[in-house]
Amino acid sequence: MKAGIFFIILVFAAVIAASLLLGPSVINPFALDGTTKVILFSIRAPRVVVAVLMGAALGASGAILQGILRNPLADPYILGISSGASLAAASGIVLGLSVFGTFTIPVLAFIGAIVTGGIVGILGWRRGGLWPERLLLAGVGLSFLFSALLMLLLSLSTTEGLRRATLWIFGDLSMSDWSIMPYGLLFVAGGMAVSLWRAKALNALILGDELTHSLGFSPHRERFLLFVAVGLMTAASVALGGMIGFIGLLVPHIARFFLGSDNRLLVPASAVLGGALLCVADLIGRSLIPPMELPAGIITAIIGAPYFLYLLRKKNVLSF
Amino acid sequence: MILRLKDVCFSYEKGEGFIGDLSLSVGEGEFIGLVGANGSGKSTILKLCGGILKPLSGGLLLWGKALHTYRNRDRAKLISYLPQTLDASIPFTVEELVGMGLYPYDIPPAMTTDDALAMVGLTEKADAHVTDLSGGEKRRTFIAMTLLQGAGLLLLDEPLANLDIKYQIELIRLLKKLREERNISIVMALHDINIAMQFEKVVLIKNGSILGSGPPGDVLTDDLIRNAFDINVKIVRNPHGRAYISYEDNF
Repeated sequence: MKAGIFFIILVFAAVIAASLLLGPSVINPFALDGTTKVILFSIRAPRVVVAVLMGAALGASGAILQGILRNPLADPYILGISSGASLAAASGIVLGLSVFGTFTIPVLAFIGAIVTGGIVGILGWRRGGLWPERLLLAGVGLSFLFSALLMLLLSLSTTEGLRRATLWIFGDLSMSDWSIMPYGLLFVAGGMAVSLWRAKALNALILGDELTHSLGFSPHRERFLLFVAVGLMTAASVALGGMIGFIGLLVPHIARFFLGSDNRLLVPASAVLGGALLCVADLIGRSLIPPMELPAGIITAIIGAPYFLYLLRKKNVLSF
Repeated sequence: MILRLKDVCFSYEKGEGFIGDLSLSVGEGEFIGLVGANGSGKSTILKLCGGILKPLSGGLLLWGKALHTYRNRDRAKLISYLPQTLDASIPFTVEELVGMGLYPYDIPPAMTTDDALAMVGLTEKADAHVTDLSGGEKRRTFIAMTLLQGAGLLLLDEPLANLDIKYQIELIRLLKKLREERNISIVMALHDINIAMQFEKVVLIKNGSILGSGPPGDVLTDDLIRNAFDINVKIVRNPHGRAYISYEDNF
């Protein structure tokens, strides 16, 4: 266990260092000049921070949702939050909106995510609480609806709008700068704080509502708090850089393999691993064929899926 | 008296009565079998006792104080409830799961996870994944969690279901031993009348009401069992005087 924690922290530190220093031009941190300073602090550092925030939000949200929905196949996008965000952001891009200046697209995405999360919450609500099956079905249903509307929008839009919207949807970290970071950090940190505060209750929720109650928690209250935390983190993540698939689903399983299933450890570990994985994916995406960049979301799936399938061959990664 | 239910009424759907004017009390160190057919209301009664369901009317007193006035965590130190189906969709280890019994406490009580595992004989399985256990081991894992929780009243919903006869006997022996060692009270729902025959006290339920309560010899009679289960049975005794149920008709 201790070795596992140490290993994950070590990997994280190494990945951050590599993401800052490596790329199309390799930077020597002990011999910085004007140009390399700009590359390091104005281009790479914000990008790494955004990748860490997004990856952390998705990894942690995935672990939490797999718990509250009692479904190891759940991921943050299953609630439809990302589809709502994508639809709102793509509408903004295609229609050329600029109501919030440079923040227009992230703000639209965030609003889309929160509104969708709210609708899912309302549909999932019955008799004084949120019910896992209802949340899941409402999320899947809305996801289909918003995806269809998104396709419709894209099929009606101009080539340039289509290209920009598609890039955004795939997860584009290249536009990262410091200005939006405090907002992202606020929501991700807030969501993480709630999740860590309620991590014991999350463990109990996995055993069912009756045992949650028996262990001294109110299942509906706990599920609501955690749902809000996941909603905020996922919304912030999508607003920061679009949709990154795979991390929310598989990082929690990888973290479980090293550290076990206790959410007090699993949630932060999934956050750290999610952040690290997205940094690696982004590093690969921008280094492979410069100056062209491959979207990080595609890389996460290409490197993560085979590793996950390898883990699947070992015992106990999944419960079935 | 640990728990007292007085004239408790409950229904799942509006207007339809299910549990009607139920009165029941559980004393210290009592081991009560709640017997009845499927759908008779055993689980509902246990959930009412545990505060999971709230009665429409009537009173539930835990140590003389209304059950619903307890904070969740304080109640969890006094009552624990185990549902019939025990499942973990996420592969916790046995140790992780048992350790959850300490969640109601800021300062853990004297008992440790290792002690609880030793009591149910699962010390060697501490690192095993719950999802890999047999039905009997899984049941014992959850019992160990309940023991660690340290409540004086255990509400067990059909803990013998899905266990073969050997595990059923082992589990009852374990619970009896625990009751003697720690003076806990146990209320257990079951539908196997032959096992209920060996309890000290049984409560026979039909349609959410109590048909009879007391020692099995008084409650599990031909007439009452026929009434409760709607089948044609006869109580027979073996040469040692132990009572069994015999089904009278051919299948």
